[in-house]
Amino acid sequence: MKKRGRGIGLSFYGTGYGNGFPDVSKARVKLLEDGKVGLFVGGAEVGQGAKTVFVQIAAETLDLYTENIHLEMEDTDITPDSGTAAATRQTYNTGNAIKIACENFMEKLKEYGRRALKLNSTAGLKVEKGEVYLEIFPQKSISFRELAEMYKEETIEAEGEFIAQTVEMDPETGQGAPYWPYTFSACGVEVEVDTLTGQVDILKARLVQDVGRAINPAMVEGQMDGGFAMALGYILFEDLNLVKGKMKNMKFSKYLIPTAMDMVEVENIIVEEPESTAPFGAKGIGEPVMIPVGPAILNAIYDAVGVRITELPATPERLIKAIEEAERRANGG
Amino acid sequence: MVLNVVGKRVPRIDALSKVTGRAIYPQDIYMDNMAYGKTLRSEIAHGYVSLDTSEAEKIDGVLRIFTYKDVPKNEHGVVYKDHEVFISKKVRRVGDPLAFVVAENEKICDLALEKIKVTYEELEGVFDPVEAMKEDAPKVHDKSNVLYHFKIRKGNVEEAFKRCYAIVENTYKVHMVDHAFLQPEAGVAYVDEEGNIVVMVATQYPHYDREEIANALQVPVERVRVINTNVGGAFGAREDITLQIHLALAAKELKRPIKTVYSREESFLAHCKRHAMVMKYKTGADKDGKLLAMEAEIIGDTGAYASWAANVMRKAGVHATGPYYIPNVKVDSYAVYTNNPFAGAMRGFGATQVPIAHEQQMDMLAEKLGMDPVTIRLKNIFKKGSVTATGQVLTEGVPLEECLIKAIEGFTFNIKREEA
Repeated sequence: MKKRGRGIGLSFYGTGYGNGFPDVSKARVKLLEDGKVGLFVGGAEVGQGAKTVFVQIAAETLDLYTENIHLEMEDTDITPDSGTAAATRQTYNTGNAIKIACENFMEKLKEYGRRALKLNSTAGLKVEKGEVYLEIFPQKSISFRELAEMYKEETIEAEGEFIAQTVEMDPETGQGAPYWPYTFSACGVEVEVDTLTGQVDILKARLVQDVGRAINPAMVEGQMDGGFAMALGYILFEDLNLVKGKMKNMKFSKYLIPTAMDMVEVENIIVEEPESTAPFGAKGIGEPVMIPVGPAILNAIYDAVGVRITELPATPERLIKAIEEAERRANGG
Repeated sequence: MVLNVVGKRVPRIDALSKVTGRAIYPQDIYMDNMAYGKTLRSEIAHGYVSLDTSEAEKIDGVLRIFTYKDVPKNEHGVVYKDHEVFISKKVRRVGDPLAFVVAENEKICDLALEKIKVTYEELEGVFDPVEAMKEDAPKVHDKSNVLYHFKIRKGNVEEAFKRCYAIVENTYKVHMVDHAFLQPEAGVAYVDEEGNIVVMVATQYPHYDREEIANALQVPVERVRVINTNVGGAFGAREDITLQIHLALAAKELKRPIKTVYSREESFLAHCKRHAMVMKYKTGADKDGKLLAMEAEIIGDTGAYASWAANVMRKAGVHATGPYYIPNVKVDSYAVYTNNPFAGAMRGFGATQVPIAHEQQMDMLAEKLGMDPVTIRLKNIFKKGSVTATGQVLTEGVPLEECLIKAIEGFTFNIKREEA
C-alpha cells in the first residue's frame, strides 16, 4: 500500500569559525596596466560560487561591470590569506574584506585623481564607471586607464581586512556569543511511502532559506538544490557499511548517492532581510540549505506510516522492519 | 539601495571553462620528467606496524620509498596535530598512510606496494563511541578517548521538567557518511627554479595547506607555494591534509615533478567523514505547547583522529535546541576517539545532525499535546530579539516565521495527522 505524509523541518545555523577564534579574511585590490581592477583573494572556489560572488561584490562596490574585474585566487604567492572555504564564511567574511578593500581602493584612486587633475582636495571627487571625476565640475575627469598609464611606475592598490565578531563561551555554562551571523531555514515535504517495499518517494518539496540578501539568486537556488540532494542521500540512501572500522561500501556502485533520477523538483524560496554587518546584507548559505531537509523527510515518513526512524539511514529494509514492528505492537504481538 | 550587479543572476564566471572541459583539475596536469607516487595504507584498524621495504626498493623504476623516517616533523592536523604523515608505530584506523612509493610510472608503484612487507601486531579496537568513553576501553591515543566535552547550563532543567505537561524522550543515532565529491584527490608537486616547493592540488584552504607542508618539512613557509587548481567539490573533505605533504616531500627530495591520483576507493580512505552521533534528547513543554526545558547528551564519534571534532561537537551543542527559545537548557556534547574512519568537517558541521533529533522531538511533543507541528513551532521559534541557549541576543533579521509559513504554502499541508 502507498501512504502519503507531510513533514516540516526548521533550523538555524551560525556562520564562521566561531567561539572567539580570530576569524580573519583579507583581500587586495590593485589597478592594472589596462585600467582594469585586479582582485586578489585567497578564498577557494569549491563549486559554491565564490569567484562569481567576489567579482559581483567588487563590481558593485567599485561601480564597474564584472568584466572589468580581474580575479586571482589560486596562488598563495600572490594572494592574501582569506581563511578557509568552509563554515559558510566566504560570502560574509571575505565578501566584507573585498568590500572594505574596494572602498579603501576608491580613496586611493581619489588621491591619485586629485594629483592627476591638479586639484587642491579630494572633496567632491567621485569614483564611478571607471572614472574619477569632480561632481561640481564633471569636466575634471580621468579614467582608470589614464591613471594607470600616468602612474605606471607606482602601484595603486589597497587592502581590506574583516574580522568577525564572536565571543568565546564559558567552559562551564556555555554562555557566550559563539557565531555571527545566524541564518534560518525551513523545509516542507510530502512523501509517499510504499509499505511493501519501504521505498520513499518525495512528491513535493519546498525549501525556504533566509539569505540576508542574495548576491546571485541563481547560485543560491543552485546551492538549495544541492543541499536538498545531499540531505536526501544522508537520510535515505548513504551507508558506508562500516564493520569493525572497515568501510565495505567505498565506490558509487555500493555507496549510493542520489542520481538525477532520484532528485526531485524543489521549490526554492529565497527570503531576504539584509544583515547590517554583511556585504550588501548577504549572509552565507552553503551549509544551511541542507539542514532542515532531513528532519522534514523523517517527519513526513512518520506522518505517512506512523513510524519514527530514530536511526539513519532510513533505508527500505529499516523502514519495512519498523512498519512491521509497529504492526506487531498494534496487534498486541 | 540601488544595486547594479549584486542581486543579479550573473552567469558563474567559471561556468564556461567547466562545461567545455577546459578547466584544469590536478589530474589533468602533466610535466616533463614527471614521476608518480602511491600510498601504502594500513589494512587493520588498530595495531603496531613495521615495514620492510628492501625488496620493493630493488624493483627497477622505483625511485624511493618514503616512510616516517623521512619526514622532519611527522605530524599534521587542523587543530590537534594528532595525525602522523606516515605511521611510525601504531595504526589507529584502516587506511592510515604507512609509506609513499615513488616510481617512474603507476604500474611500478603498484608492484612495489605489493612487495613491501607489512607486519602487524593487532590490538583490540574500539568502534562504538559510547563504549570508547568507558575507563577500560582500548585507548586510541594512549590517553582518554574523550577529547572534548562541551556544556551548556542555562536555568534549571530538573525543576523545569517537573512543571512540564508533556515530555518526550528519545535516542537518535546518525551514521558516518562520505562527502562523495566528484573529483577524487590528486596533485602534482615540483621544485621551481628558485628552489621553492610548488604543490598543485584541489583544496579548501591553500594558505593552511602551505603551513602544514612547511611545518612537516621544516622549511620556511615562504619556500612553499600552493596553487589551488579547479576543485571538483569539497563539502569539508578537503580541509584536512591528504596527499599534500607526501607530494611535497617527494618533490623536494627527488627534485622531480611528482604526481598522485587517488582512486575512488582510496579517496574514501583518505579523507574525513561526517561525525556519527548518538543523541539522547529530553524535551518538555507546558499545556499550551511552550517549551520549558530541554536536555541533550550528544556523543560524537570522531574516529581515529580529532580533525575538527571539538569544533563540530561544539557546533552540535550550540545548535542542539533548534531555532527555539527554551528557558532551561542542559547540553553535554562529547567528541570521542574510536578506531573508525576519522571524522571531520562536512556540510553543516554538527549542526546538520542535531535537527534529526530536535525536529522529531517537536513533532512528538505536538502529538502528545494534541497540537499540530506548525502551531507548536510558531509558539516557540526565534524572533528578532530572542536569546539563544548560549545567551546570544539575535539582534539582526530572524525571518523564521516567514520561512515556516512559506515552507507550507501551497501544500495540502494538513497540519494534523489524518489517522492515528
